[in-house]
Amino acid sequence: MAITPVISAPTSRPLTEIAFCAWVAQAVSGDRLEYYRGFLAVDVWPLFTRLSDPERDELTKLAARALWAAEQGLVHLVQERLGRAHFAYLAIARPKPNTADFSLSSLLLAAA
Amino acid sequence: MHPPLSRADLATLINEANAAARRLHRKLALPTADLDDLRQDLLVDLICRLPGLNARRGSLGAFANIVLRNQASRIACRHHHQRRAQNGTLLSINVPLSGSREPIGQTLTEADGLASWYGQERTTEDDLEAGLALSRALARLPEADRRLCAALAHRSVAAIAAHGFGSRSALYRRIADLRRVLTAYGLGPSWDEFATA
Repeated sequence: MAITPVISAPTSRPLTEIAFCAWVAQAVSGDRLEYYRGFLAVDVWPLFTRLSDPERDELTKLAARALWAAEQGLVHLVQERLGRAHFAYLAIARPKPNTADFSLSSLLLAAA
Repeated sequence: MHPPLSRADLATLINEANAAARRLHRKLALPTADLDDLRQDLLVDLICRLPGLNARRGSLGAFANIVLRNQASRIACRHHHQRRAQNGTLLSINVPLSGSREPIGQTLTEADGLASWYGQERTTEDDLEAGLALSRALARLPEADRRLCAALAHRSVAAIAAHGFGSRSALYRRIADLRRVLTAYGLGPSWDEFATA
């Protein structure tokens, strides 16, 4: 069985929440994205983190969005241990859930 | 209240407005069909300002001249501003370009629309896919968010806040969150843009 290569976030620029959402929208089942590398549970804590406040805020939002995507059935979240207190956090795209389409015009009519 | 206009006064106003419209029309190099619109705009503005006429300070003709000159100047400024915003003048799609027999409209393809001039090239397929993505995204949204989206289509955030959707700051937070959610459902920037940036 072929394994989809992992797409890593560019090291020069950490992945943002909106970029993660864009990947979720575009990913097909089995695509994998490494959305963070480090120790997420520690890195979001102000006392222990090596990140600046804006970076930590963005990481917190990214982690929350990844969890949301998993709860919506859009991705699986897994971790790969790279070393001591060092992990690769992966999102694996799931098949898009089938939902009945909703008509925009009926929504707008109902709101008018 | 201003006394009713005599026939002679009315004729003066119409003549002055006609002359001003022709001057402005020539100066802006507008299509022939726009002359009547200009004439009407100038005349209506002039009639609206008639209560400001003081007969002791000057004749009706002099008053009309000043009012028309100012209004013509405002119209010209607006027109130049529009031209700058559109990167050039407007052309009728029913007239041929110089050296051509066909009207412009017949020489344009679907990709030659105004949006494509600004780098937002869209085809019928794009519109169809956007419509489908929108239907799917709406289906996945919770009912409360759906109602918020529908309300935002018609009203401003301030108006929605007044209709019981919560405070303005809470609404802005919800909208920011919705932007992420809709992006994850395919209604936002594409991953390729982030990957190549």
